[in-house]
Amino acid sequence: MEEVILRAENVNKSFGITHAVKDVTLPFNKGEIRGLIGENGSGKSTLMSMLLGIYSIDSGKFILDGKELNVNNQVEANRNGVSIIVQEMGTLSGLTVAENIFLGNEDRFVKFGIKNTTAMNREAQALLDKYGFNRIDATMMIDNYDFEDRKLIEIVKATYFDPKVLVIDETTTALSQSGRDELYKHMNRIRDEGNTVIFISHDLAEVIKYTNSISVLRDGVLIDTVQSSDVTEDDLKKLMVGRVLDDRYYRTDYGEAVSDDVVLSVKNVSVPGEIKNMSFELHKGEILGIGGLSECGMHEVGKAVFGASYDRTGEVTLADGTPINSITTAIKHSIAYASKDRDNESLVINDSISDNICLPSMDSLRVNNILLNKHLNEFANKYAKLISVKMVDVNQFVSDLSGGNKQKVVLARWIGKNSDIVVLDSPTRGIDVKVKADIYALMSEMKKQGKSIIVISEEIMELLGMCDRILVMKDGALSGEFMRSPTLTEEDFIAKMV
Amino acid sequence: MTELQNIEIPTTENKSFGAKYREFMDKPVTRGVLPVVGLLIIIALFAILTGGKIIQPFNISLLLSQTYMLMIAATGVFLIMTMGCLDFSQGSMLAIASIVICYLSTYSLPLAILGGMVTGGAIGAINGFFLVKRKMPSFIVTICTMFLFRGLCAYLTTNSPVYAIGDINKYNTMTIELTLTAIVLLLVYLLFHFTKLGSNLKAIGAGETGARFAGIKVEKTKLLVYIAAGMITGFAAFINVIKVGSVTSTSGNMMETQILIALVLGGLPISGGAKVRFTNVIVGVLTYKILSTGLVMMGFTTQMQQLIEGVIFLIVVAIFSDRKSIQVIK
Repeated sequence: MEEVILRAENVNKSFGITHAVKDVTLPFNKGEIRGLIGENGSGKSTLMSMLLGIYSIDSGKFILDGKELNVNNQVEANRNGVSIIVQEMGTLSGLTVAENIFLGNEDRFVKFGIKNTTAMNREAQALLDKYGFNRIDATMMIDNYDFEDRKLIEIVKATYFDPKVLVIDETTTALSQSGRDELYKHMNRIRDEGNTVIFISHDLAEVIKYTNSISVLRDGVLIDTVQSSDVTEDDLKKLMVGRVLDDRYYRTDYGEAVSDDVVLSVKNVSVPGEIKNMSFELHKGEILGIGGLSECGMHEVGKAVFGASYDRTGEVTLADGTPINSITTAIKHSIAYASKDRDNESLVINDSISDNICLPSMDSLRVNNILLNKHLNEFANKYAKLISVKMVDVNQFVSDLSGGNKQKVVLARWIGKNSDIVVLDSPTRGIDVKVKADIYALMSEMKKQGKSIIVISEEIMELLGMCDRILVMKDGALSGEFMRSPTLTEEDFIAKMV
Repeated sequence: MTELQNIEIPTTENKSFGAKYREFMDKPVTRGVLPVVGLLIIIALFAILTGGKIIQPFNISLLLSQTYMLMIAATGVFLIMTMGCLDFSQGSMLAIASIVICYLSTYSLPLAILGGMVTGGAIGAINGFFLVKRKMPSFIVTICTMFLFRGLCAYLTTNSPVYAIGDINKYNTMTIELTLTAIVLLLVYLLFHFTKLGSNLKAIGAGETGARFAGIKVEKTKLLVYIAAGMITGFAAFINVIKVGSVTSTSGNMMETQILIALVLGGLPISGGAKVRFTNVIVGVLTYKILSTGLVMMGFTTQMQQLIEGVIFLIVVAIFSDRKSIQVIK
């Protein structure tokens, strides 16, 4: 009989109208590595954030070792034996390695109100040595170490006190193979000591290989918990998406010729530290994909085309030779851009849906040089309804909307502006399957109308499924080009990426 | 995890009092109605406390005559604060513009008005330049220019106050002043509501990066708004001169704080943004002026008035601050 160490009981969490975690009841056993998978927005990170006290729980509870867990922040969670290694940077700049490791627990080195830094450094170094990270010096500033080393330091920080439950939230994508191996080693060690690891990852092969059992979430609901030895990647995908995964929501046509008319050309464009000497052309009615690893510079290409890059060199020109050097000229000449950073760049987050949709189109909404609120609201309503934004009315603030609906507002803005060249950076990031399908349908529709689209995406399947042509980038430069083909596979693509 | 962090709104049935309170305060209606209710309460309160004195016709016209200058200057600052910026140089700007108006009034009155507006606009341009080109936060820039022009004002008035032409107070009538104030308010109201200016300023206040990516020329807009606000204050200086007839080193002292308090009393979120309404200016300035005049009538000393105003200001800011965007004052 397995012993349960942690149990989530009827846990719920909502953000505005989004019910992110629905009534999840989930036991975790002692001495296991449990995979936690699901699509973006399925509630994995939200569930774990509640466990760690980062988010408050709307209703329900976590039971750890028979007692209700009641924590308000990570330090309290640590004291109760729960810790996390986060997806992003989890260490603080401007502090030493030792200060980072003992952040929130400095009290143990304080005597009579004075902190004994020497003792703290000594103990931190002893821990680093014990983990085999001798090359890291506890007294150095954390900023002297690269992302990878800082993740290793986080491993020490999250595990030195032998937590009963360790959460690892999509950490491996940021690590090289050797960094991953270190992480796997410590995951196994923690399990072998009789404690529990909750492992969140999008890499299904990795999840199957390194976990004992796997729980699947979909749209905030717990679908199933399976034994890792019994499942294949395809089984997991099926559980995650809720049906046999096919390409139904992608385009199905192949071999249709794309027009020879060039609508936009990018010549020798460089942005310091981001992209080197990029040149390509976009044709009328073409969906051009740009893919690669997240850090390959592809996201900057979208900004460069939209005139939003700092210190850009080289030329971006339209068919008639008009140079695009600023956001205003880009918008004026019918270029639209949906950024990967939806909340800060794509939208004015603390503003109404109406304003967000109307902002670039204000000039054309004037009647006799006068702008009436009524016309703005009508315009916003028309385009929000057209792509069915889920909202109360157009005066609602976009900050209250879910990720998918925010993206729809962004698209409504540019459809309303009737842009001919549309740059979409990570258009389906964090968006559920249904809205995804809507967005793909919209892209096909735009293509049919003769509009040209650049899709920048980290999701290879999306690029293979939707694009007429795909550019692959690596280290800020072009590394390959593929034409649309049913025989093109993910493997061909990855070979050019890394 | 990252994208959901700043939109935490509990929606379950058993909400805490705090959550209910926040929800109530977030309603647009609340923001629109509460300042008006505050104004009415303050009028009623002082009507009772002063035994009806404050609502006698003579006192109302006295009250109004003290309101015009602040009302006009606040209209410009309203535009600045909508963008989430601040301006502490208003008082010193008013003083310098008043000096210029006094000098020029001996030649020609239209020239004097124009000179005042150009002076205000120039100081606004200096603020805007450092804000936009040097990327300095607005409160730092305008605190520096406040000291700079306060100093210049003290220098120019070292030996004696600067006097305007002797008969300038013939314009000091309710008809002229009320008309001029109404014209400024109406102009800014029309610009704010029936051109893209209002939406653009609100968008800059609500999210500058997002506004830039929506095609708004953020830098140019900021610079122009600071110049415009300067010119409006330069115009307010004209009202100041026809009322007082001279400028001393303390002219316009503390006006920047009075404007700030007035606008916040009117319900303007201190970080600007989409929740700004034009009525904030009118309601706010009236509330502030009735409050301070009422305190004078009740016989409070200046020091005591400041103390009371400070307490009220703190309470109102605490009630109206928008937790989601308070950190973005530029």
